[in-house]
Amino acid sequence: MAEELVKLTIEGVELSVPKGTTILEAAKQAGVLIPHYCYHPALPVAGVCRMCLVEVEKTPKLQIACATTVVEGQVVKVFSDQSVKARESVLEFLLINHPLDCPICDQAGECELQDYVFQEGRARTRYSEFPKRFNPVEDFGPDVLYVPNRCILCTRCVRFMEHAAEEEVLNVSERGDRAFIGIHPDKRLDHPWAGNVVDLCPVGSLLSKDFLHRARAWELDKTASVCTGCSQGCNTNLDTRNNMVVRIQPRANTDVNRYFICDHGRLSHRWMNRGDRIEAPLLSHGHELTAVDWDHALDRAAQIIKGCSGKGVALVSPGASLEALWLVRKLFTGLGLTGAFRVERVKGESPLPGVPGLALREERAPNATGARLLGYTETFDEALKTVEDASLVVVLDDALTGVSAETLARVPNLIYCGTVLPDAARGARVILPLANVAEEDGTFVNRDRRVQRYFQARATPGMARPAWWVLSELLQGLDRGESAGVAGDVFDVIAKTEPAFAGLSYGALGAKGAVLPDQATAGARA
Amino acid sequence: MTIGVKTVHRPDHEVSYLRATVKGMALTFSHLFRPKVTMQYPEQTSAPDWTISNRWRGTHRMLTDEQGRSKCVACGLCPQICPANCIKLVPGEDEEGNRYPLIYEIDEFRCVFCGYCQEVCPEEAIHVGVHYENAEYDRDRFVYDLERLCAQTHPVSTLWDPSDPKGE
Repeated sequence: MAEELVKLTIEGVELSVPKGTTILEAAKQAGVLIPHYCYHPALPVAGVCRMCLVEVEKTPKLQIACATTVVEGQVVKVFSDQSVKARESVLEFLLINHPLDCPICDQAGECELQDYVFQEGRARTRYSEFPKRFNPVEDFGPDVLYVPNRCILCTRCVRFMEHAAEEEVLNVSERGDRAFIGIHPDKRLDHPWAGNVVDLCPVGSLLSKDFLHRARAWELDKTASVCTGCSQGCNTNLDTRNNMVVRIQPRANTDVNRYFICDHGRLSHRWMNRGDRIEAPLLSHGHELTAVDWDHALDRAAQIIKGCSGKGVALVSPGASLEALWLVRKLFTGLGLTGAFRVERVKGESPLPGVPGLALREERAPNATGARLLGYTETFDEALKTVEDASLVVVLDDALTGVSAETLARVPNLIYCGTVLPDAARGARVILPLANVAEEDGTFVNRDRRVQRYFQARATPGMARPAWWVLSELLQGLDRGESAGVAGDVFDVIAKTEPAFAGLSYGALGAKGAVLPDQATAGARA
Repeated sequence: MTIGVKTVHRPDHEVSYLRATVKGMALTFSHLFRPKVTMQYPEQTSAPDWTISNRWRGTHRMLTDEQGRSKCVACGLCPQICPANCIKLVPGEDEEGNRYPLIYEIDEFRCVFCGYCQEVCPEEAIHVGVHYENAEYDRDRFVYDLERLCAQTHPVSTLWDPSDPKGE
């Protein structure tokens, strides 16, 4: 059924939009950003900030673009004298009590109040002789601070807690110029998704304690990534400064996480910067490990694999990329492979009730579905019992917690590929240092079988390299494949050879990913 | 094989240095009777007709508040604007929850004394100074930390004012 379209003109641009669209959304399509604070695409319209006032021809008063739906033949003037003057007045009201402490405010640089005042606000105040309202900083919850002075009362946080988190903890207390965001006297803002109010806040009023004073917005480089916290696969941005991941923010993807990520994912970035990494390929000489260059290490690994016959065991991490998992499997061509992984599970999902299908999942790994699709099974403990009989054991970035060094010491041919070196893996014949998720490109398959790309955000430490590079070089040494120039080379071969991934291409995945076709999953399950 | 060297015989008045010496000394001694234009530096650092400009941009000084703490709020604008990348800043939070610089260091060797840091500072904390005597025994001493920047006492530079380009 064709949607009914409405024709209108915004700032001289004629366009047709579906009936029921708001002027603000229609203007976005016309390439015009109407300044707004309280409006957010994921929240119900409140119309309280009055910032999106625009002139609509043949209406006596200015209209708020966020709550006015388009009408056939409408002519909207966003930057007419009247509407600009109205918005300038709104900004003047907002700034009456705003402390203008941008130098010490974490939001400075990504603050919508800053942006719009710079764009359309007055250059000077007319209220210099009046003191500003002052309220002390409040501690709202485990990761959220509230600075009432900076608040412009857009109520995005209130509406998020009410309609998305469905836990009414916040409200607007008091009235008029004394109004502020109040918290329930007996409750704290400790909902597992509460951290999103920090992102939603257009000003620096709600702050993340984790990020407090850590970096200025303009120092950050943003890289598209995928959350590794659980199997939901929320899209994220990794914010890096000086080669350190300092913040994780949600990246909008209406098909997965909309505009949100949970606090578990938001706060799990410290491990990406950990310093105790393997920084060079290591070979065992007796009981000593010697650092060597990549050529030597890969040659040795290829020799070991060539000399193996019989059964092989691969212990992989469900946090490894699809490319790495596939390449590891390929190492065992000609050997009987037992591919196993284990997933950390935490009882109980933490859903975001307002967004169906979005939750912090029990399975706390980003690529367990990908591992299953490639034939790995969740039989880590069983597989571990068989390693002694295996001619070749490859461990891919499993931390080997709970695995004793003695068990692995009896393995004749152990190759450890990983980011950090657990004690249990010290007996490995070859140790290959890998990049972690923030340091490489790759893909994950989330629980809904959506294949999503993530990108490199920081440099690898030392000589560590992405798994797709290491393993494809190794396979080239074994004459079983070509060395990959980029992660996409590997993915495109997977798409060609694996029926489950047929029809996909790395380039076409884009920033939003693609869902695997149904028949493919049926085939994989069979 | 010897190289053929051509010997030039010049007349004595061209070869003698005596004339040139007398001429040079005459110029030298004539200066004894002219007005003095030099200054007895370092005993004397300014003269009635010459003082250092108040727009001189020399080594930095951090201004302090009444309690003697630096006025810096660690906003990060000076390291951002610095074209020489000579300012190191690590922000922190004090007991009262105020933002302040945990580490604030300026490498005066790297500094190009452009004065942008002073211009950009929203708190009027960091300044370039009217100061030019910077001898040290050690190169490391030229990385000024916050304490040293606060301890400087020299006058701070007046920035160029576009509405008053000649500083009148």
